Amino acid sequence: MVRRRLAVHLSALLVGAAVVRIAVVPAEVCPQVTASEVRSAVDAAAGWLERNVQPDGRYLYGYDRDTGVVSGDYNEVRHAGIVMVLYQVYAATGAADALAAGDAGLHRALGQLLDHGDWVAWAPPGEVTSGGNALLLAGLAIRRTATGDTIHDAVMRGLARFLVAMQFPDGSVSSDWRDRPIATHALYSTGETAWALALVDREFPGEGWGEAAVRTVDYMVSERDRAEGRFSRLPDHWAAHTLADLRPDLLTDRRIEYARRLAGYFSIRIRFESQRLGTGINLLLRWYPGTPAGFGTAGEGMGALRRLASDDPRLADVAGGIDDRIACAVGLMVDRQVTPQEAAQAARPDLEEGAWFYRGHTQMDDQQHTITALLEALPVLEAREAGG
Amino acid sequence: MTGALLVVAFAAAFNPFRSRGALPETSDGRGRAVPLLVGGALAVASVAALAWWSGPVLRTLQITPETFKIAAGFVAVLAGGYAFVVAVPSAEPELGGWRAGVWPVWYPRLLGPEVIVLALTAGAGNGVAATSWSAAAAVTALFALAPVHGRVTRRVLVWFGRILSAALVVVGVWLTIDGIRDV
Repeated sequence: MVRRRLAVHLSALLVGAAVVRIAVVPAEVCPQVTASEVRSAVDAAAGWLERNVQPDGRYLYGYDRDTGVVSGDYNEVRHAGIVMVLYQVYAATGAADALAAGDAGLHRALGQLLDHGDWVAWAPPGEVTSGGNALLLAGLAIRRTATGDTIHDAVMRGLARFLVAMQFPDGSVSSDWRDRPIATHALYSTGETAWALALVDREFPGEGWGEAAVRTVDYMVSERDRAEGRFSRLPDHWAAHTLADLRPDLLTDRRIEYARRLAGYFSIRIRFESQRLGTGINLLLRWYPGTPAGFGTAGEGMGALRRLASDDPRLADVAGGIDDRIACAVGLMVDRQVTPQEAAQAARPDLEEGAWFYRGHTQMDDQQHTITALLEALPVLEAREAGG
Repeated sequence: MTGALLVVAFAAAFNPFRSRGALPETSDGRGRAVPLLVGGALAVASVAALAWWSGPVLRTLQITPETFKIAAGFVAVLAGGYAFVVAVPSAEPELGGWRAGVWPVWYPRLLGPEVIVLALTAGAGNGVAATSWSAAAAVTALFALAPVHGRVTRRVLVWFGRILSAALVVVGVWLTIDGIRDV
């Protein structure tokens, strides 16, 4: 009798454990990669962007390898994002090709400036967005730091003044200018604006750009999600970049606490992603591995917070966890990138090598966000390899 | 988890009020001391062992402690919900003498799935000592309830057991949210 009851209880325990294992906590698979492999992945991905610069200064938007169709779509905010990330690559690696490709996109944008008198803005046909201008300005700030070239300083200050003009008194940011800032907010332009202003503050200290940035940071900390109708907090990687690049004297406890919460959001995204195999029953429960752009934002957000945590003792307790998630994320990213060997078997090797695809499709921001995540991860891997 | 919350979590997981209703008893309805001591000691030792091995176990399972907390919360919610609905555990056949402390006191009464996952997640987060002491405190409460007998008192135990079952659900929700928000 006891044996029968024992068998019943143990069977129920084992079945329950199996259900929890498969449905709730599948294995978190994190391929190990070296800093050298990450640098190679950055080179390959930047190569995809550099190869696909168009004669007019645009970049290739997207490619579907299942249908062989090269996308004719374009997105100007993402154009600015590519300019910015190419400058990040140049700043980190010194690759002249990256600088040239970034300058090609920048040159196109500088030919589309709107001079309002008290500010200037990048105005590609039909739009004057805070997000596009912010990413362009962030790119210019990164370029200025990396090259020492001050030729665009006047434009930078003009763009920064435009971003300040797009801020409302509560720190929220209008998504578009249409004779005036319209009362709508885009998902990410708020964080992009704050980040650009924080970077400009580093280039032009004492001009008040950091103080302008924290107006928007505090809006993100306290009101944004409720005011913009979101049920939960937005895991905003641009907010993470902003906090990482703000002047240290502007990092109040409240803003640091926001950084801690952001780290939690990026962490669960990375942990969830590491559970995705994209096959079998795991596919039914976890779906396909996420979009490279989406996963990249979690990686880059975490990377930005790592810089903050390594400098600020108030985040020391989460620094180890942040490093673990970053190492896991970049392992997955390198593992999922199209290698030269894989690309050689493809119909269009030049459109596949170095790229990340989601269900057969890749687009420019897949490369953008993933490259930034890889670059942010390099110090973590280098420190670990050095035994730090 | 804070120390106080850890004690509450183990109290809710062991649920001494509910467990008391299914202990080996003397002819006058009081809990038998020896099986209770054996089962309680084995339960605390099991929690300590699970806490001690939580790191290697989670690494073998390829689960971070933060994510395992989500699983622990999920199990706690289910176990708490079940215990709330089924307020009196099913009677189990007993082994003779002190061995009744092994079956059914240690297992299945005390070492339920909710205790196992809580021991692993607390071991990874709070360490072996804090986990073991919290488990011991919860089991001690069960010792204190051993002399309780009588029909009215048993009804009171059932309702207190339900309160702790509800607390286990709350602990489970908290663990899940904490596991999601953890870095």
